[in-house]
Amino acid sequence: MDDTRRYERLRERFQNGDISRRNFFGLLGAAGAAYGLQMPFARQAFAAGDVSQVRFDGWGGVVSEAFRKYAFDPYTAKTGIKVVDGTFPGGDEYLAQVRASQPGEYNIAHLSGVFDYARYHSFELNSELNLDNIPNMTNVMPALMNAFKSITPDSLSAAPYNYGTTGLAYNRKHISDEEMKEKGAKILIDEKYKGKIGGWSDWRTRLWYAALQTGQSPNDIQDMDAAWDAVRKHRDLALKYWASGAELMSLLAEEEIYVTEGWSGRIYALQEQGHDIGYFDPPQSFGWQECLFVIKGSPMAACEELINFMLDKETSIAVAEGQSYPPALDPTKVDLGEKIPKLPAFDPTGTLSGLTFANPNYWNGNEADWSKEFARVQRGY
Amino acid sequence: MGQRQKRRGALWIMSIEAREARQPWILLAPALTAICLLLIVPLMFIVVYSFWLKSAQGADTPGFFLDNWQEVLTDGFYRDILFNTLKISAITTIACALLGYPAAYFIARSKGNKLILLVLLMLPFWISYIIRTMSWINILGVSGALNSALIWLGIIGEPIQMLYNETTVILGLVHFLLPFMVLNIFVSLDGIDTNLEDAAASLGATRWQGFLQVTLPLSLPGLAAGGLLCFVLAAGTYITPVILGGPRDAMFANLVYEAIIRQLNWPLGSALSLLLLIVLGALVLIYNRYLGMAQLAKGLG
Amino acid sequence: MGWRLIRTYTVLVYLFMFLPIAVVVLLSFNANQFGSFPMTGLSTRWFEVLWNNDAIMRAFRTSIVLGLMTAVISTVLGVLASLALVRYAIPGRNLITTLLIAPILVPEVVLAVALLLFLNFLNIGKSFTLLLMGHVIFTLPFVILVVQARLVSIRRDVEEAALSLGASPMQTFFAITLPLLMPAVAAGGLFAFTISFDDITGTLFWKPGGIETVPTQIFSMLRNSISPEINALGTVIIVLTVGLPLMGAAIARKLSTRSGG
Repeated sequence: MDDTRRYERLRERFQNGDISRRNFFGLLGAAGAAYGLQMPFARQAFAAGDVSQVRFDGWGGVVSEAFRKYAFDPYTAKTGIKVVDGTFPGGDEYLAQVRASQPGEYNIAHLSGVFDYARYHSFELNSELNLDNIPNMTNVMPALMNAFKSITPDSLSAAPYNYGTTGLAYNRKHISDEEMKEKGAKILIDEKYKGKIGGWSDWRTRLWYAALQTGQSPNDIQDMDAAWDAVRKHRDLALKYWASGAELMSLLAEEEIYVTEGWSGRIYALQEQGHDIGYFDPPQSFGWQECLFVIKGSPMAACEELINFMLDKETSIAVAEGQSYPPALDPTKVDLGEKIPKLPAFDPTGTLSGLTFANPNYWNGNEADWSKEFARVQRGY
Repeated sequence: MGQRQKRRGALWIMSIEAREARQPWILLAPALTAICLLLIVPLMFIVVYSFWLKSAQGADTPGFFLDNWQEVLTDGFYRDILFNTLKISAITTIACALLGYPAAYFIARSKGNKLILLVLLMLPFWISYIIRTMSWINILGVSGALNSALIWLGIIGEPIQMLYNETTVILGLVHFLLPFMVLNIFVSLDGIDTNLEDAAASLGATRWQGFLQVTLPLSLPGLAAGGLLCFVLAAGTYITPVILGGPRDAMFANLVYEAIIRQLNWPLGSALSLLLLIVLGALVLIYNRYLGMAQLAKGLG
Repeated sequence: MGWRLIRTYTVLVYLFMFLPIAVVVLLSFNANQFGSFPMTGLSTRWFEVLWNNDAIMRAFRTSIVLGLMTAVISTVLGVLASLALVRYAIPGRNLITTLLIAPILVPEVVLAVALLLFLNFLNIGKSFTLLLMGHVIFTLPFVILVVQARLVSIRRDVEEAALSLGASPMQTFFAITLPLLMPAVAAGGLFAFTISFDDITGTLFWKPGGIETVPTQIFSMLRNSISPEINALGTVIIVLTVGLPLMGAAIARKLSTRSGG
């Protein structure tokens, strides 16, 4: 429906002479020229007029069902604005899509809080939220917002939504709790478990744990060579790099591997199913958060109102229970019910002082080099 | 009435040559238009991109730089993985041909319903690619069906670690590509007159000789088409190595995917994908030559 | 003897192809949510859940419609192009064939991003039509390869005989060539449908807002866990595609024996 309208609007502009035919074909011909991808007219093409829909992209399955039921449907009932929801398999794939899209095509996304926030900022895709339009923002833990403030000191482009850790998951049939506590992150490079070790194929996680294994601070790695050697050692001992939560769960449940890092919520889901899998956050375990990011060119007022619906207690709890990651709401201000306080990584104090988050400036500053280097190291170079 | 028809006939004959020349282009027009608009022109963007530079932060730097190409062509890392990819594709193709030819022969010569047999072969595709690739963990995993069966039979005492190496990547690829091979061979075999084999037999050839000298050569176009398809598709996969491979296993398409999606280095990713395109394109040119020869041989025979 | 060997071999090949299907069908009856063996109990609840899951059912319908439309368009374009390439001496035949096969030579991620850049440049938004055209592009090579291989083995003299008997090229095509070509046309259509139905990468990039196909739906579930409804959906599809033709064949046989007796 809306596509037709967009198209009509464009055709109108074309006919009105905003985009002349010659310009149109001239630009087409300029595909070979260096400036071919700068679109002088695309920027205004989706200027927000009357808002009839907002696009949200996030994780599918239980998460999207919870959002639809508790936030989107009530929002549409109140404002008459439709929420079109899309799904993505990962933040990287999504960013590629956004980069190749027209401004305004994508509005709100459920992204990785720290890394994506900085990346979208560096591609100038960030927006400015008017917090007065989002009353529920006052319930959000300040600790989670501070991470964003270090990137955009004066404004926010996103609302924190949930958090978790990437700690160590182990099969308790083969590895005792004591052994785990004693060895900590080093268990992932323990020869004893050669061929029974797993790991996430994400370069940040690999380096973070390499830092812990070499006794360095993950947010300030001094000896890079030692860290890369730890990554190599882990690679040689590991059976498999997993790439998704579904894989992580099946590797552990099928006893294909005995120890790996794991996402807190996924391990919790395994435990709930009766699998004897332990979860241990070593000192300086990898803490992370996710946010609802508003992309530049979106209808801001409509997005702010939708975010307010999504930050609502009911919605937050439903989504949190669906994916087993605690919500960003401050537990000292909001009653989060029975189940949420039992989730791993949950912090009842609302300060999150026990978690170590990645320093976005440090990690994003080194992203280009390290992600490329990791691709080589992974393949044995 | 008759007059008019005659005149039309004359006109038809007169313009027949012009028609002959025009006709193939009319037939080709829809496909070529689609390919040009949706493939060739977009690919130009990729070509342009491959000469740009990625900046450390933010947008890429437009211009004409040869850095990406230099890196792609001189770095041993890319060369090794490219050769490894070609090797894996070749093994996969041969395995598909060995598994697929007898099956295709059976389908083509069976008295039953061939269409149902073909649809059955495509059946695994109705279950999504990810699901069926991931299901190998239930079959070959340490607590999977095969290990359980072997232990139950007393052949092994401890489960064997079978998953997550190059062999399982090839296994996954063969499972994915076998139907393409079988269908192509089948189509070719089905067009061969069975009387030819009988004729060979009546001339004193054994069944095997008859097959080798009559059926096999005639089915080569199908085998070649299937082989090309398997090879090219195997060389372009990236999900199978991610799900079924170990930490080191990677194909060239994984590098492209990582450059474009993970590292956001579109210029380098463009150069890498163009390299793969050129290598595979050369293969197709060879194939076309060969197919042309086969046709020629047929015409002479 | 040789025939029996081939038959056994073929059965084994089919068994190999069906292994993952067996896993999916078994797991769809698993009572436990995170499906793994040994199964903890039998249950049909995932079928109920599937029936009530709007999102998955909608994705399934989208996939079917998209697949069918792709198959029809791709097959028509492919047959026309193959005819031109095999039956006419045209200059640059090799180059054109390579061009038509090119969509499977380019890694799909690259094709996906490239097409998006182009559309973005033209200022055209994403739509179902675009998704459909994208699918047509990369199913086309499959159709062309399979149809060409068959066309090569159809003898020209049959067509020429028809032409010399006064049939127009059109009539010749429909009366002679097409019937002989039918297995390849069916195979090509089957290819196109199947590949479209199973495609992830391209669909991921080209789908407009609010449209999901079964594979993209599954892909986005990977982070948490694939819900067992997906296995149930797999079972339903298998039962439909295997069960219906077999039933049809059985009924036809029954009817024919009755009328025969």
